[in-house]
Amino acid sequence: MTIRLLICFYFYGICFLNAQNIDKDILKIQQRMDTIESFSAHVKLEVDISFVNIPVKHARIEYAKNEETKVFSEDFVLVPKKGLDVSLYHLFKNPFITVDRGSEIRNNKPYKALNIIPTNKKTDFSIATVLIDTSTNRIIEYEVNTKKDGSYVVVMNYNDGKDLLPSDIEVQFEIERVRIPLKYMGKDAQIDKDTYKSDEPKTGKIYLYFNYTKIIY
Amino acid sequence: MKNLILAEVYKLFKQGKTYYALGAIFLIEIIILFSAYSQGQGILDMVLDNLKQSFHFEGNLLNGNLLSYLILNTLWFHLPLILIVLISGNLTSEYKDKTLLSVMLQPVSKWKFILSKYIVAIVFTFLIVLFLALTTFILAYSFFGYGDLIVYLDGLNFFESSDAFKRILWAFSFGAISMIFFSVVSLTLAIILEESTKTWITGAFFLIVSNLLIKVNFKNYFLDNWLYVKLNDTWQYFFHFSIPWNKIYVNTFILSLYIILTVIIGIIIFTKKDVGK
Repeated sequence: MTIRLLICFYFYGICFLNAQNIDKDILKIQQRMDTIESFSAHVKLEVDISFVNIPVKHARIEYAKNEETKVFSEDFVLVPKKGLDVSLYHLFKNPFITVDRGSEIRNNKPYKALNIIPTNKKTDFSIATVLIDTSTNRIIEYEVNTKKDGSYVVVMNYNDGKDLLPSDIEVQFEIERVRIPLKYMGKDAQIDKDTYKSDEPKTGKIYLYFNYTKIIY
Repeated sequence: MKNLILAEVYKLFKQGKTYYALGAIFLIEIIILFSAYSQGQGILDMVLDNLKQSFHFEGNLLNGNLLSYLILNTLWFHLPLILIVLISGNLTSEYKDKTLLSVMLQPVSKWKFILSKYIVAIVFTFLIVLFLALTTFILAYSFFGYGDLIVYLDGLNFFESSDAFKRILWAFSFGAISMIFFSVVSLTLAIILEESTKTWITGAFFLIVSNLLIKVNFKNYFLDNWLYVKLNDTWQYFFHFSIPWNKIYVNTFILSLYIILTVIIGIIIFTKKDVGK
């Protein structure tokens, strides 16, 4: 009987500890984001990758709660695999714990820094670092280290102090330079030997500007 | 002069070679379209492999603009080779059949006669490129539709459909000048060599050397910017993300000077030549 009581006490303790390990501010943000049932928006996409030249593109996105964001476009568009999730669905969809990392300065303003560590093996990221604006209860930046696709950083800007969804975001990611066999290269294509020899991944950025057409809470 | 030009036009369209050439160009287009249809997506997947790690792609890149661009690339070798054979053959056949001697026995000025051949060669080259462009657009857009164009030139360049169409159209227009250069060179070679096989071999050799030298860095300003081989790829500049118009104008001007110079050399050689031997 004593052993049973001890085991119960142990599991209760674990549950209690886990509950303690989720930051209150992040829970507030999660609850706020949960109020969004769906939204749609027109998106302007600007790609900034050293070896890719692409004009500004336009697309339409649709989000419904607990579903992946869908993208529609009549043009050819490069849609970032990561970072398009302005509802932060991917960060919060699985159980997690948080670790306080103090504060970080952005634009001369301190923001609360937290690590989000998933407790579920199904999650596609191992750790995320978020910067929280505690005055507006919003995430202004997060960095995600994925298990398969490297890491990416999302910087989120908002129009208004009350807005839940960002007006524009900047997604930074690592990308390897394109390697094309000579027979597929144009005759005028020059090869920068130093760049070509380099195996270092490059950093790419994509800027997304949202014009929300419908937000349902 | 007008009658000489009309006679040359008549001869050009009377000979079977002209229609074989048109047929060959059309066949090349069909082959390119077929191979692009069967292998195009695989090549695109390979080119975009690295981007696929970070991006989803919305839209179709295997479209009429990409196919038109692939056919446009026949301006490197296939089309000039056909033009060399056809244009030079127009004169070498006259040497062989002795019709040239018959014409020269008439009260016809030698320089006017050969100039009319050059004029017809230039106009015909324009028409051939126009034929290539028209059939390309008709075939490519009817079977593959419209869409953005992707080109690899010092990086991946993406062009919106309407922009891509304009660029391809410009490339065909300025590419025609490169083709004219090869046409007048082949006619000048025909004047010098007279015999068709020798002229074709020399013309093909000239084309191959030109293609080989295009990538050579001479480390000399004049050779790297003014040598004819460095001017024949001017049409490719339309697929740089920002079109270097000044470079295009300068290159076209210099290439036009080369064309005029080649024509003058050809006329001088022909007028001094004893065509009756």
